Amino acid sequence: MGSFSVSIEPLVSLDKVSYLYPRSKKLALCDISLEIHKGEFLGLIGPTGAGKTTLCLTLNGIVPQFYGGRFFGRVTVAGLDTVDHPISTLARHVGVVFQDPETQLIATSVENEIAFALENLCVPREEIKERIPRVLAAVRLEGTEHKHPHELSGGQKQRLAIAAALAMQPDLMVLDEPTSQLDPVGAEEVFATVRELNREVGMTIVMASHAAEEMAEYADRIVLLYDGRIIAAGTPDEIYAQIDLLYEHYLRPPQVAETFYMIGKRGAPVNKPPVRMREGAMLLDTLYQQCTIAAPKNLSMPVFHRGEPLLSVQDLKHTYPDGTQALQGVSLDIHEGEYVLIIGQNGAGKSTLVKHFLNLLRPTAGTVKIGGVEVGNFSVSELARRIGYVAQNPDNQIFSTTVGNEVSFALRNLGYSAKEVEERTVESLEAMGLLDVRDAHPLSLPKGDRARVVIAAILAMKPEVIIFDEPTTGQDFRGARFILDISRKLHQMGKTVLVITHHLYLMPEYAERVIVMGKGTILLDAPIREAYHQVELLRSTFLSPPQAVLLAQQLNHRERQDWKLLTPREVADCFVCHSNGKGGMV
Amino acid sequence: MLKFQTVERDSIFSHLDFRSKLLMMVVVSIVAFVWESPIALAALTFVVVAACLLAGVKSGYIKFIMKVMSPFYLLLLITHGFWNIEQVKSLTGKQVLTPLFAFPHSWWLIGGASMSLEGFLYGWSVIFKTLTLVMVIPLAIFTTDIDNMIVSMVRAKIPYKLTFIFSSTLRFFPLLFEEIQTIIEAQRLRGLAVEKMGPVQRVRIYAQIAVPLILGAMVRSQQLEVVLQAKAFTGSAERTYLHESLLHRSDYVVIALCILLLLLVAILYFWFDVGKYAWILFR
Amino acid sequence: MSIKPAGEEREVKLLGGATVDGAPIAYLIVLAAVVTGLALIPLSVVLGSGKSFPMSQGIYPLVGWILGPIAGAIASAIGASLGIFIAPHTTTVPLATVLGAVMGSFAAGAMVAAGPRRNWWLPLSLLLFVIYGFYGGRAVLQNGVPVYAVVLGSFINWSALLLFLLPTRRLAASWIGHQDLRRVASGLFLGTWMAAGLSHLTAAAIVYFVVNWPEAVWLAMAPLAPLEHLARCVVGTVIGTGVIAGLRAIGLVKPAWAVY
Repeated sequence: MGSFSVSIEPLVSLDKVSYLYPRSKKLALCDISLEIHKGEFLGLIGPTGAGKTTLCLTLNGIVPQFYGGRFFGRVTVAGLDTVDHPISTLARHVGVVFQDPETQLIATSVENEIAFALENLCVPREEIKERIPRVLAAVRLEGTEHKHPHELSGGQKQRLAIAAALAMQPDLMVLDEPTSQLDPVGAEEVFATVRELNREVGMTIVMASHAAEEMAEYADRIVLLYDGRIIAAGTPDEIYAQIDLLYEHYLRPPQVAETFYMIGKRGAPVNKPPVRMREGAMLLDTLYQQCTIAAPKNLSMPVFHRGEPLLSVQDLKHTYPDGTQALQGVSLDIHEGEYVLIIGQNGAGKSTLVKHFLNLLRPTAGTVKIGGVEVGNFSVSELARRIGYVAQNPDNQIFSTTVGNEVSFALRNLGYSAKEVEERTVESLEAMGLLDVRDAHPLSLPKGDRARVVIAAILAMKPEVIIFDEPTTGQDFRGARFILDISRKLHQMGKTVLVITHHLYLMPEYAERVIVMGKGTILLDAPIREAYHQVELLRSTFLSPPQAVLLAQQLNHRERQDWKLLTPREVADCFVCHSNGKGGMV
Repeated sequence: MLKFQTVERDSIFSHLDFRSKLLMMVVVSIVAFVWESPIALAALTFVVVAACLLAGVKSGYIKFIMKVMSPFYLLLLITHGFWNIEQVKSLTGKQVLTPLFAFPHSWWLIGGASMSLEGFLYGWSVIFKTLTLVMVIPLAIFTTDIDNMIVSMVRAKIPYKLTFIFSSTLRFFPLLFEEIQTIIEAQRLRGLAVEKMGPVQRVRIYAQIAVPLILGAMVRSQQLEVVLQAKAFTGSAERTYLHESLLHRSDYVVIALCILLLLLVAILYFWFDVGKYAWILFR
Repeated sequence: MSIKPAGEEREVKLLGGATVDGAPIAYLIVLAAVVTGLALIPLSVVLGSGKSFPMSQGIYPLVGWILGPIAGAIASAIGASLGIFIAPHTTTVPLATVLGAVMGSFAAGAMVAAGPRRNWWLPLSLLLFVIYGFYGGRAVLQNGVPVYAVVLGSFINWSALLLFLLPTRRLAASWIGHQDLRRVASGLFLGTWMAAGLSHLTAAAIVYFVVNWPEAVWLAMAPLAPLEHLARCVVGTVIGTGVIAGLRAIGLVKPAWAVY
C-alpha cells in the first residue's frame, strides 16, 4: 500500500501521552502510545468527543503549550519534543489543516495565505515567491494567486489550506476532518489531493475523518479512538472488518464491509469482510458458487400520493442579480405527508428552490403555490407558520437567553394569548425532550441539543411542512442519525418533510422520494429505490451511490433481475447459504 | 460591497505608495477642515472629484454618493440659508445680510424667515467641505492594492499587530456580513412580521440579529487562534513580507508637494486671508 | 481526574496566543468585523426615520465591556475605519466616525469599579469636559447660538457626561458584572446611555466644527436626539444582554479587562 515503508526511527512518537484541559476533570487523552513512520498515511477515527482533534493538536505542541492544562508523557516529532520546543518551531515540521474552511484562511488573497506562515517564520521574500507556484501546482490551484478566499469553492478553500501547510515544507501533514463541511465534489478533490501527496511525494499524513469508505481506500493504518484512548489500531482491513467493534463505538463501517458482515451472519463463508469495493465485488462473485440467491421480500414501497399537491412548482426560473441562473425551469409537486430528499452539489439550486417555498426569493418566471395559492400572496411570516425551516447551523437561529424563551420567541410575537403560548411551548419542549432544560441557556447545551431547541421552536408554530437544510453536515454518525430520527418522528406525526443532504448512505431508512438537482434543473424525481439505482445519472453529477446499491447492481446483473435494494441488510437478505456452522464470521 | 472596491484604471494614483496617499488624504482633509471660503472649497472639491474620475472611480459611484448625501445637503442649505445669521455676520463683518427671499409673515411658524445670500453660500461651503472629506477616501483607498496597504502601514511604523488585525478583519468581514443575511432570514422564518411592529419592538427584534452574530464570531475566534498558532503567528513584528512597499520618485514628489501645499495654505490663510469665508466674495 | 495517567507529568510552559492589552487578538478581529458589518446596516431603515445612523453605534460600548478600554477602542476604530473604506457614503466626516467609535468603547471599558484602572475615568472626564466645552462653546461664543438651545440640543451629551462623573458609572459597571440578567440589562442600558452619549459627543464636536449648525438645528435636535439615543440604548441593551448571557453560557476565555 502506497509508498509506506518501515524505517527504523519513527517520524512521530507518542509515549504514554495523557492530557487534561484546564478547568476539566476528565482526561481528553489517556495513555496514548503510538508511532508514525515516514511516508505513512494514518487514519484517525472515533465519534465526536473521542479526542481526535486533541491528538492532532498534540503533534504541533498547541496541546499543551497554547491551552495549558496538565500534560503527561512525551511526544516527539522529527526528533523534537513538543513540550520543550515552541509552537513556532514545531510549525515548520507539522502542517495542519482544520475542519472549517472559513476560519483557517486568514489572508486576503490566495498568495498571501500561502505566504503568511512563511513570513512568520522569516523566510526570505524571494524564497516565498518561489514556493507559491510550486505548492499551488501541487494542489491544482494554479492561476488563483490573486483571488480573495471568498471567491473559492469549499473544496478549493481546503486545498488552499493544504497548499499553505505544504509551503512550510513540513515533515508531517495533519488533517482534522478536512472534508466534513464539503459537498461530495469538494470532498473528492481534497481526498485526491491528499492521496497524491502521500503516494507521489511520500508526505506523511495523519487524517481524522468520518468518511469510512475513503479511509478504507487511502489509509495505511487506522487508529480507533474512544474516550481519549486508543481502542484499536491496525490496517483498514483489520479495523473496518470488526463491525461489532465499530458499532459499539458509534462508528459507521464502510457499507461494503457491513454488507459482507451481514452476509456472513447468514451463514456464507466470509472469513473477513472486505473493506473496499474492489475486493467486495470479487468476493461477491465467489459467494455465488456457495449460496443461493433469493428474491428480496417486502421491499417497502412509498405510498402513492394523489389529489391536490401541498407545494406545487411550475416552470420556476430564478436569476440572481449578478446574472447567475440558479433555477432554469423547475417543475414539481409535493403532496402532504411525503418525505422528500433533495440532493445535488453545492450550486445545483437546492437552496434557491427551497427559498422560493418560503417567499424569501421571488420567481424570475414561473409559479410556486402552497395549497393551491401562490406563495407571493403570503408574507414570509405567514408562510413561516406553515413551513418550518431548520438551517444548517442551529446557532444562527438562536436568539434568546433560555431554551423556554427561544421556543416561545416567535409565539409571543404572533399575538397568541399567554395561555396558548405556554401550552404550545410546553408541548413542543416535551416533543423534543427538552422540558428539563427549559431554563438553561441554549448555548450551554451540546450541539445536537441546540438543533433540537431550534426544531422545538419551529414545531411550536405547528407547521405543515418542515425543511431540514443539510442537517448532517459536520455531524458524526451518531449525531446525523439523531437528527434524522427526529425528522422521521415528525414525518410519522403527519408532517411533510424535506431534507437536503449530501450523505446518501444515511437516507434509505428515512426518505421516500428523491429529487436530484444539477445546474438549476431537476435531473431526476423518483421514489428512492428508483433514484438510487440510477447510478450513471448520479455519477454524472458527482454523487456516489452507496456501496450497498453498487453491490445490489452487481447482484442484479448476475441474476438478471432488477431488485431495487438499498441497504447492506437488504442485500444480505438475498443470500441463503448452507453453512453447516462452518462458514460464517470468524 | 464585500470588499474594497477597486478601480480598474492604471493611473498615477494606483502607482503611488499607500503612505503617499495617506499623507495626501491627511493634507487634503486638513485643508478642507481649515478653509471656509465657498470658492476655495468648491475648487478643492473639484480637484478631488476630478482626481477620482482620473483615477478611474466610476462616475456612477460619485453620483451615488451625491444621491445618498442629498437630503443632508438640502438640510445644510435650508438651515444655514435661513438661520445662520450671527456666524456669517461675524465672518463677513456685515451688520445686515443680503436677503435672497423671505416667506410672507402670515405663514405659520416659518413666516418672516428670510434666506440670506451669506447663509446660503455658507451652506454650500459646508457641502463642499464634507464632500471633499468623503471623496478623498475612494481616491486613496479604491486605488490601493490591499497588500500594498498592509505592508505600507508596517513600514509607516504602525505596530504589526494592528495591521494584522486590520487585514484579518478585512478577510472575515464578508463572512460575517453573509451571516447577517442568514440570521435575518432565520428570524423572518420564525414568523416575525417585522412590518407590523411598532418602532421600539422593531429595534429590539433587529438588534437580536447581532446576538447570534457576535456569539458565533466569538466561538469562531477560538478556532482562529488555534489556526494562527499552527501558522507560527506570534504577533511579533519580526517577520518577512511577500509584498514590498517602496517609495518611488513619484512618491517623494507627492510627499514634497503635500508638505509644500500645507505650508502654502497655512501662510496664505493666516497672513493673506486666502480661504477664509469672506475671501473674494465679501470685502 | 479519576484515572492516574501512566506517563510522567511534564512542566507545561503556557504560551497562550497573541494578545492586545490582555485580549486575545482573534477577539479583536472578529469584533472589529462585527462592527464593520453592523456599520453597513442603517437603523433608519428599521425605524423608518429619515436620519441615518448605523447599528454599530449601539455596540461600541459593548465592545469596550468585552475587550476592555484599549483593545475595545482599537477593535472599534478598525471596524469603523473599514466600514468607511468599504462604503464611504456611510459617513459625513470620517474622522468623527472613527473617533466616536474609539470613545464609545474606551469610555465603556473605563467604567470599572475596582482594580488598577479604577481611576481612568478621571482624566477621561477632563478630556470630555474640554470636548464639550469646545462643542458647546463654539456654538455659543463663535456662532451665536443661544445657551438654552445648546443645552437642549446636547441633552444626551451632558447627561451622559454627568452620569459618567457620578457614582452611576460604577453602578453600571457592577450591574453589568451581575449574575442576574435583569441587572445586566439595566446596567447595559445605563452604561450605553453614558458611553454612546460620550461617543456621540466626540463625533458631534468634530462634525460641528465642520458644519456649524445654526440655532434651528439645535432646537430640532432637542426632541430628536434623545429618541435616536434611546434607539441606541435599546440596541446596546438587547445585544449586550444576549451576548453576555451567551458568553457566560459558552464559557469562553475572558479578556483581562473585561467588565461583564
